[in-house]
Amino acid sequence: MTTTLLDTTTSPHTGTAASARGLTRTYGEGDGAVHALRGIDLDLPAGRFTAIMGPSGSGKSTLMHCLAGLDAATGGSVTVAGLDLAGLDDTALTLFRREHVGFVFQAFNLLPMLTAGQNILLPLELAGRAVDRARYDEVVGVLGLANRLGHLPSQLSGGQQQRVAIARALVTRPDIVFADEPTGNLDSEASAEVLGHLRRSVRELGMTVVMVTHELDAAAYADDVVVIHDGLVTAHLTEPAQDELVPALRGRNA
Amino acid sequence: MRGVLLASLRHHTRRYVAASVAVVIGVAFVVATGVLTGAMRDGLTADVGAPVAGVDHVVTDAPDRTLRLRDQADRRGVPALALGYATEPVLRDGVQLAASVDVAEVALDPALRWQVLEDGRFPVSSDEALADVNDVKGTGIELGDVVQVGAGAAATDVEVVGLVDSPVAMGASLYVPWQTLRGFEDTLWVDTLAWGGTPELARSLDRHAAVEDARAWVAARQAEISRGVDVIAVMALLFVAIALFVAVMVIANTFAILFAQRSRDFALLRCVGVTRRQLRRAVRLEALVLGVAASAVGLLLGAATGAGLVVLVRRWFADMGAASLDPAWVGSAFVVGVLVTVAAAWLPTRSATRVAPLAALRPATGVDVRSAAGRWRLGLAGLSLAGGAMLLAAAVSHHALPAMLAGGTLAFLGVLLLGPVLVPAMVRLLGALHGAGPVRRLATGNAVRNPRRTATTVASLLVGVTLTVAVLTGLASSRTALEAEMDASHPLDATVTAVDRPLDRETSDRVATTEGVADVAALRGTFATVGGERLPLLGVGSRPDVVRGPHGLAPRDGVVVLPYDVVEALPGRLATRVWEDRELTVVVDGRERTLEVEMGSGWGRAGIVSDATLASMEPTPRALALWVRAVPGADAEDLAGDLAALAGATGAGLDGGYADREWVDLQVDVLTGAVVGLLAISVVIALVGIANTLGLSVLERARENALLRAMGLTRPQLRRAMAVEGLLLSAVATVLGTALGLAFAWVGVQVMVAEVVDGAGITVPAFQVAAVAAVSALAGLAACVVPARRAARVTPAAGLALD
Repeated sequence: MTTTLLDTTTSPHTGTAASARGLTRTYGEGDGAVHALRGIDLDLPAGRFTAIMGPSGSGKSTLMHCLAGLDAATGGSVTVAGLDLAGLDDTALTLFRREHVGFVFQAFNLLPMLTAGQNILLPLELAGRAVDRARYDEVVGVLGLANRLGHLPSQLSGGQQQRVAIARALVTRPDIVFADEPTGNLDSEASAEVLGHLRRSVRELGMTVVMVTHELDAAAYADDVVVIHDGLVTAHLTEPAQDELVPALRGRNA
Repeated sequence: MRGVLLASLRHHTRRYVAASVAVVIGVAFVVATGVLTGAMRDGLTADVGAPVAGVDHVVTDAPDRTLRLRDQADRRGVPALALGYATEPVLRDGVQLAASVDVAEVALDPALRWQVLEDGRFPVSSDEALADVNDVKGTGIELGDVVQVGAGAAATDVEVVGLVDSPVAMGASLYVPWQTLRGFEDTLWVDTLAWGGTPELARSLDRHAAVEDARAWVAARQAEISRGVDVIAVMALLFVAIALFVAVMVIANTFAILFAQRSRDFALLRCVGVTRRQLRRAVRLEALVLGVAASAVGLLLGAATGAGLVVLVRRWFADMGAASLDPAWVGSAFVVGVLVTVAAAWLPTRSATRVAPLAALRPATGVDVRSAAGRWRLGLAGLSLAGGAMLLAAAVSHHALPAMLAGGTLAFLGVLLLGPVLVPAMVRLLGALHGAGPVRRLATGNAVRNPRRTATTVASLLVGVTLTVAVLTGLASSRTALEAEMDASHPLDATVTAVDRPLDRETSDRVATTEGVADVAALRGTFATVGGERLPLLGVGSRPDVVRGPHGLAPRDGVVVLPYDVVEALPGRLATRVWEDRELTVVVDGRERTLEVEMGSGWGRAGIVSDATLASMEPTPRALALWVRAVPGADAEDLAGDLAALAGATGAGLDGGYADREWVDLQVDVLTGAVVGLLAISVVIALVGIANTLGLSVLERARENALLRAMGLTRPQLRRAMAVEGLLLSAVATVLGTALGLAFAWVGVQVMVAEVVDGAGITVPAFQVAAVAAVSALAGLAACVVPARRAARVTPAAGLALD
């Protein structure tokens, strides 16, 4: 187990899924400007489950939005799946997300008028891509959704809804899956189940998952943990133990 | 609670815009109607008393006795003025200026002259006349002209010595002294005299005469005109009611959507101790404030629009009064606006305030937008439809108008009640027709998500489309039926018929090249003597192309077709023979020939025989008549004027039905334009409603749209999904509205037209109906522009951050 502070380490096996250099994001102008990200340098290794942690307002969601092409950076560069996101217009960013990124959000993950199965296939449909039945069956099987596919979201429990969301994120074989507080609305049992599925998708399906969370228990499922305070990365821990996490989260100089 | 109310109004102002716009338009419509009809009433009733200002009494009696009384007044030196008119043609230098103008009396006695002189002087002898300054613009009469008024024996030449302005209610085009007017006895209609003598004198001269105080008579006339204006106002208010009905749907929908979005706020208020009654009072107060504010704006807008329209109308119609506001009318408009708003908000507030306090504590699952049709609603819809259909069937079989109106309203309400089931089904069907693809699926899914909301949105547009299609089709069918009638009664557009000498070749050529003439048939014939009068007999072989209608005007051999007025003018013995034995003896070149008689009208003063019959009487027939078919849409007055000049030059007579046909056509056009224009207002309100529903739904779906955008829905795709959603809504309204409109039009034609015209069928004005469909669909698309742009502008990150 190694601890690297403000250092970029390439993963031993498959290389980098996403990286940021000097990434800044500022909202507003002048005196009222809010500096959500103040210069992030970060490499996220492929084939691993990384948790981005930090207190409320630390900029962790903004970092995820910038990495995922949901929000444009103010300065610096973001490279995902070998593609530089700087200078891409809205349509190009949208197409980039279609091809390379999967999402799991905290809530409102599913379209209420589509069934679970239709929700899972929606990204493929939006991209106009053919459905890979084997992949679909595999993902549905791994997430245990086979007998829930015809249900509407309102007929599913919170945990089941998040599993559908994970299946949807995985079915396109994205280069990277971003999960934004995926367990924020769930009880502990359902949380454990969802986190277990995210970890299995890394281990068994070979995906790269980046999860934003503020829960220590959730971070415990991750391979790596990136800690953010006030818009700066303060720690990048590889396979940390529980006792390493707490001090890293508590202070920026831990 | 007041703080909450004000804060909520401030916070939600923009979301209330659509509801306000609906109320503003409705109230403005009422006020503008009031201003316009008020100005019309003022204009029409002003100066009604002018002709009787110089006398104390008015005498009314049967027309023939009134004429005699007027003559006696002259003999006895009693000041009197005939209040009536003759309708006569006017010619100048043999050229007809107008086929029929109103001619009234101008007094030679200065005390009874009531017209306002604009130019020239009043007549001092019976061969002088006044002309109305507004009417001369149409006829071209100028000061100093000598014109011939009347035709035949009654024709009189008068010099126009003055131009006058006269009020529309009492005015005429020409004014001549009594001596001259008396000569037009055939068309003169006078049943009222301004009477300068005593009532006793009038009664002693004519014991039937009714003598009335002049002021009372003026008041009665004004009341009569006022009632006429009231009828117009009531008609306009009918359309106001339709617009307000649509507004109620738009407002109720807006409130229902807003309250659904705010249900968590309401629950929170309940949690912190607001009672259900307080909450309900607060939201109803919100509706009240909205109604008052929007109605006030509507009053200002309506007053401004009304005043603007009055100014505009006065440019063409000088007898429009000045714009003024009737306080009672304005007050009612305001009250109606407020009531409509509060009433429309009533039901939504009831269901909104039923929210349980606990709802605030549950996790936010987004706005629950599901709603469904209750069983009672379906039952009621079935009953309405069945009842409506029965009433409509009864209306068709008995030609009963009230049953039709009641049945139509009931059936339409049934369709509206059925909306939450019918509309989503139609949206799915149309969506499927549209093709596959995620954007369409998304649009269809969004459109049917909330059946009741969708149904109400569609219903508001449905009202306008249904009524417009029904009215257009009904009027087109009436036009077809009227045209068939016109074809039968006016088989020819224009005829130039020789009176005493044959037509020369030049006349034929010039008629054929006259502007507005499509086709000419030249007829040969001979002059016969019938009952001592000279009458042209025209030979017709086969039906000429210029003839319209069922009668070919091509009689069998041995038959003569005579105009009714020729038969009526025959000496008694001959007329009896025609009526009873259907035969008549005509004399050509001294040889007698007895022919079987048929009668008709519409081709001028001539008899029609077959070519063979003509040949047997006259070996060398000559050109005696030209039958003209006009170019469709040609100006009737220009055509008549040109042909009259040509006919006059050769001493021939002009006749024909084109002017009547054009007039009927114009009436239908004006009616169509007016009704469609008035219905357009309710369509505009409906479109505001569609834009509003979509706009509010966008707010509701902000997170969902952000999610879709995150997953790879491009901005254009999102905009397209919104556009398809709007298009689906307007397409359903269009399809359903057109079907209903055609059905209602068929019933209307069966009930109203078929009774008057046998075998009247429905005529679908395909072009107009297609135009309505296109406008409605495009308008639905236009209603999406703003909401779609707003939805697409939100970045995914910003959308996801919303709660």
